[in-house]
Amino acid sequence: MGDVLTAVGVLVGLGAILALILVMAERKLVHSGPVRLTINDADPVEVPGGEPLLSVLRERKIFVPSACGGRGSCGLCKVTVRSGGGPVLPTEIPHLSPEEIEERVRLACQVKVRGDTAIEIPAHLLEVEEYEVRVEAIEELTYDIRRLRLAFGPGVAFRFRAGQYVQIETPIYDGLGEPVYRAYSISSPPQGTGAIELIIRKVPRGICTTYVHELLLVGDRLTLNGPYGEFYLRDTPAEAVFIGGGSGLAPFESMLADMAERGIRKKVTLFFGAVARRDLYDLERFAAHEKAVPGFRFVPALSDPAPDDGWDGETGLITEVVGRSYGDMAGMEAYLCGSPGMIDACVRVLTAKGVAEDSIFYDKF
Amino acid sequence: MTSQGAFTIFIAAIFINNILLSNFLGMCPFIAVSREVRTAAGLGAAVVFVMTLTSGLNYLVYAYLLEPLGLGYLLYIAFIVVIAATVQLVEMVIERTSPVLYYALGIFLPLITVNCAILGVSLFMVIRQYSFVQSLAYGAGSGVGWALAILAMAGLRKKMKRSRVPAALEGPGITMIVAGIMALAFIGFSGMVPM
Amino acid sequence: MKQPPLLARAQARMAPGALTRDGFLGADPRDLVEILQADDGAVRRLGLTHEAIGGAMARLTDAALERLGATARVGGFAVSAVEAMGQLPCPFGHAGLYPKAEVRARRTRDGAERAWTALHVHLVRDHGFYQGRGSPYRIEPADLAGFLGLGPAAD
Repeated sequence: MGDVLTAVGVLVGLGAILALILVMAERKLVHSGPVRLTINDADPVEVPGGEPLLSVLRERKIFVPSACGGRGSCGLCKVTVRSGGGPVLPTEIPHLSPEEIEERVRLACQVKVRGDTAIEIPAHLLEVEEYEVRVEAIEELTYDIRRLRLAFGPGVAFRFRAGQYVQIETPIYDGLGEPVYRAYSISSPPQGTGAIELIIRKVPRGICTTYVHELLLVGDRLTLNGPYGEFYLRDTPAEAVFIGGGSGLAPFESMLADMAERGIRKKVTLFFGAVARRDLYDLERFAAHEKAVPGFRFVPALSDPAPDDGWDGETGLITEVVGRSYGDMAGMEAYLCGSPGMIDACVRVLTAKGVAEDSIFYDKF
Repeated sequence: MTSQGAFTIFIAAIFINNILLSNFLGMCPFIAVSREVRTAAGLGAAVVFVMTLTSGLNYLVYAYLLEPLGLGYLLYIAFIVVIAATVQLVEMVIERTSPVLYYALGIFLPLITVNCAILGVSLFMVIRQYSFVQSLAYGAGSGVGWALAILAMAGLRKKMKRSRVPAALEGPGITMIVAGIMALAFIGFSGMVPM
Repeated sequence: MKQPPLLARAQARMAPGALTRDGFLGADPRDLVEILQADDGAVRRLGLTHEAIGGAMARLTDAALERLGATARVGGFAVSAVEAMGQLPCPFGHAGLYPKAEVRARRTRDGAERAWTALHVHLVRDHGFYQGRGSPYRIEPADLAGFLGLGPAAD
């Protein structure tokens, strides 16, 4: 009996001592003490060591865009690490070009802040803030597109430029592991700061859109951060084409309302590409904009109208419709919002028609 | 048997009683990680470190804990626990100091835990009744011997990439055959030191 | 069987809610490495390669994506794609982002239908990954090859 007890005691003791050593080693090695982080040219701040840069920044309410939640697979969270950060990891290399490695660009989610670190991030990211909003209204626009009206709390002024987007934090539902962030363009004009509107199309098996379409109710609370994006109307006299597909009319609604509000004069044609009549929405709104904004024309086009649609408007792929509406397009501006495939196809057509590449604007998120 | 000098034991463990080529212990990572010289060197270094450390630690555990208490029969489980903890420690150190090596070693870092060569060294040390210094020398020597073997194999495999190996023997097959030939060559060292 | 850290990381990204709502593994209890090995074996037994299967899927997918939602007809198939805004990363940590597009392909000869995503094409072609059993887009390699009309590759 005594033997058994000693044997058990010895093993337990041995295990405990080793476990203790490991815990201490982990403290020392993995989580180093506080380190100093310098962002752009600001004064260094003290942050806990050993954490990924992306989460350190998020803790400090600095939102570097990321689509994969810090798993090193989307490659969006690029920042310039001027000092510290350690060697470039194998997980980062596929996302970085040789020039980027040369310029010390790193993925914020892979870099661990272990010693004093200095980084550079675009200044406009510092203006991004997190907001709590309440769902004020939900409106069905088509069978798979909804408009949300989100109200900020009293006294909160959310400022943005027409055409920018926000990221919604999808809460954990259906036992999913962690919140994810998805980007949506603001469709309301920047003049109403108390609330914003978003147009959200249901994505087959999408995380956030399924939540918005199936679970979200009026009165629910959501967390969002923003504004993001370089997609806003340029202040030039050039004639512009807007091309939108699916829920991609959102930023244009914001821009047109803004133009009407501020009396901006610019020749603009908005092409709305959809498959069949059931995909069209907000036609009355655009008819109203046609009256309110001098020089604005709205052209919906269907690529595959159903036999009973009774469609007598433009038909064909949106790229074909745009192509045959213009001759030489040199000197014009183009604003695109839609799926990446639509954007690529439009860029090809537009550049072939003479639009300069730096006059084509889009946010590919 | 225990009268040999530590240095003799060290040299013998590398060449004459090479843990890999004379006892065929630690074959799994030997075959799987010998594709590139760089990773082979990394794993070799990790094994040297773990073997030396664990043979020392296990000697202390055995000589001052298990034997005095008459618990010699616990040596297998005690050794394994010590080895597992040491490997965890090494893993942490490598992840911290060289993330690149950490990814290159991949699965084989935690697999060192179940590398029979490591346990084998600790057990031989008990069977041969080595002293503490002798154990350290034996552990370090075996580690160096294992690293030498895997480095040699990685070098050979690099050359073999350009040779025409019968399709059925590609990969592990030819590696086993080459390991056998290497073992034959190492037999030539026996007799250098009377064991 | 334990798997290398890079595969373990990929498997974590394949969980429901990590990259996509349903994840990539369905109800499959196997580890990623086992799924990959089993499907690799199945494809070899068919005398095919992942590149061949993925390539055939890519041809249909590209044709569908080009039509921006309208139906395209290619080589005995009618294909259409619903492409959403936004892009998805590859769970294996491959560089780049893939369109969020669901492709529906109907074989005109017999009306058989299969659906996959643009990312799935990359997963098949470059990773030999056909998703876990019970995943919404899992297609057994043999079934997929049969649907695409692929026979054993001539050596």
